[in-house]
Amino acid sequence: MSAIKNFIFRRRGRDGGWHWTDIVTWVWLIGGTILMFGPALWLVSSSFKGPAQLAEFPPTLLPYVQEVATVEGHDAPLPLFEATMEDGTTRILAEIRRIGTSAQMVDPADPGERISVRLTDRTPLREVGLAVDNYVDPFLSFDFMRYLGNSVFVTMAATFLTLLTNSMAAYALSKYRFRGRDAVMLLIIGTLMVPLSVILVPLYSVVSAVGLLNSLWGVILPTIATPTGVFLLRQYMLTIPDELIEAARMDHASEWQIYWRIILPLAAPALAVLAIFSVVWRWNDFLWPLIVLSRRELYTLQIGLNTYAGELNVQWHYILAMTVVTMIPVVLVFIFLQRFITTGIAGAGIK
Amino acid sequence: MGRIALEGIRKSFGTVDVIHGIDLEIGEGELVVFVGPSGCGKSTLLRLIAGLDQPTSGKIEIDGVDVTRKGAADRGLAMVFQSYALYPHMTVRQNLSFGLENARMPKAEIDQRVEEAARMLDIGELLTRRPTQLSGGQRQRVAIGRAIVRNPTAFLLDEPLSNLDAELRGTMRAELAALHARLATTMIYVTHDQIEAMTLADRIVVLRKGRIEQVDTPLNLYNRPQNLFVAGFIGAPNMNFFVTEAKSGRAALPGGAEVVLDHAGPVTIGIRPQHLRLAQDSERAIAAKVHLVEALGAETVVHASAEGAGSILTVLEGQPLIERGAEIRLAFDDENIHAFDADGQRIG
Repeated sequence: MSAIKNFIFRRRGRDGGWHWTDIVTWVWLIGGTILMFGPALWLVSSSFKGPAQLAEFPPTLLPYVQEVATVEGHDAPLPLFEATMEDGTTRILAEIRRIGTSAQMVDPADPGERISVRLTDRTPLREVGLAVDNYVDPFLSFDFMRYLGNSVFVTMAATFLTLLTNSMAAYALSKYRFRGRDAVMLLIIGTLMVPLSVILVPLYSVVSAVGLLNSLWGVILPTIATPTGVFLLRQYMLTIPDELIEAARMDHASEWQIYWRIILPLAAPALAVLAIFSVVWRWNDFLWPLIVLSRRELYTLQIGLNTYAGELNVQWHYILAMTVVTMIPVVLVFIFLQRFITTGIAGAGIK
Repeated sequence: MGRIALEGIRKSFGTVDVIHGIDLEIGEGELVVFVGPSGCGKSTLLRLIAGLDQPTSGKIEIDGVDVTRKGAADRGLAMVFQSYALYPHMTVRQNLSFGLENARMPKAEIDQRVEEAARMLDIGELLTRRPTQLSGGQRQRVAIGRAIVRNPTAFLLDEPLSNLDAELRGTMRAELAALHARLATTMIYVTHDQIEAMTLADRIVVLRKGRIEQVDTPLNLYNRPQNLFVAGFIGAPNMNFFVTEAKSGRAALPGGAEVVLDHAGPVTIGIRPQHLRLAQDSERAIAAKVHLVEALGAETVVHASAEGAGSILTVLEGQPLIERGAEIRLAFDDENIHAFDADGQRIG
């Protein structure tokens, strides 16, 4: 434990003093952490706030909930306030209703007496707490499980097909010599310069013509061939020695077996990287599914979330909560596949 | 089984000709070594035989069957690569059985063959390990094992020992020789190391710039090199050459020595460092001045120079007392002289 403490707090200055690089390092690391984690933490904390608290200015760092008390003669629990009385004393009172600029309140200990308090003379009594309803309500009323299922299917199928087709293309482009190989590669890389919005209309016509509108396959198929994936895998496969392929060829392996049993296992680090990319891309896809899918039961999560943003009313508390839920799978994928990325980098360092 | 015949093999990469017409017959069970300086085409020739590259023209026959257009897998050969090319993601057992699985061999037979090869090469306890967990020598054995289990018509070995340290190389060389004696399978062995070539080969093929300079047994190459290149390439240290002129049946060497030669015109006389000795007073000899003496104990290497002949290397037995700067006279016997004409071809 003290070794870790020594490691973290050691300084470069003379006699253990501060060196200017120590200060820069601390500022850089703390600033970077805030910059990277701040938005995510803010999102998570806000997702537990009620709609009223979200609209509050200045915003609070932590989610609070109003304290309530059950008062005799009232069915629902009443919110508690700290009220300043005319004689300067303060009392804890429960609000029954608001009338204009004053509120009708009652002392929970003495439910018979009604007290009128001006709105400016009272502050809500709050404690740190979570508005769990933000999470529970969508699961109950909103078709969350169906949207989740659609999203998972689209992401899994698209990622699997992306890995398969891109690795086959990358193998051909890295290990076979044929006329026009570099031209094909340039063409594939060239498509990186064409954004989705440019090909949106023709792509829609194609998908419509083959009858894939309002089908999850219409979301999946156009996305599986990615130039980034082909390029990433090809560059990695170039580092696999040709002698291994020749040895396999001497070992009676067919071209498919060489691809399946030699190339794919050796390209695992690059495949993991592409899998992470693909999962994140497909999971977060919004524009293309929005165009292809118009039937509610086919919505993916991202489109489903969009239904909370109406023309007149945006239900931020639900959007924030569901955004947190949709982030979870991406984070899990990173946690489980990141060791492939690091081992890939480490392996590249040794060779 | 295992006769390999090459007929007029040529290979070009683009406009660069690498192999210029090679004819060669390799007999059954023979261990033939391709040797030559780097870039001579020896590895290319091996890859052509393996079927990993296609010759530009010419014919390759194995056991009388033309295999020129056949793929590498269908030639029944096995190859050991310089880098071993073991599959890093498979265990040793999987490495050995991969080729057999591809040939759709029954599982029981695969296991039997793998066990047999593992026993033969003493790698039984390594079968569950991965190549990265093996030492260089162990990887080498596994690579050879992968070739053996296939039971090939011939083994092709591409500089298999060049990644090992000197001591291990000597051991593995002896093991390879023993293996060949036991299996009696044709082997083609590529190396640039002439000690490997001399010790292992039944016959050596000396290559230079894509052409065969000479094919012969190791001792014949040493005793009767057919041209200047082979004479200079085989034998360590390199042969001493004296460029001179042959007139009326005689050629003069520096220091007044003369050799009888049935030739006229410019000639190169070659004498191996081991065939020179310190001359008696009256003997015919080459006079030289000593620059450097390397006493190795069992023998002494003397670097000297003669007027008009450049440097002369001499390997003397034992530990003769010679000091730097001394004048020495070096004698030789007529039967140890190699003479080459102006084109570098052997005379006589």
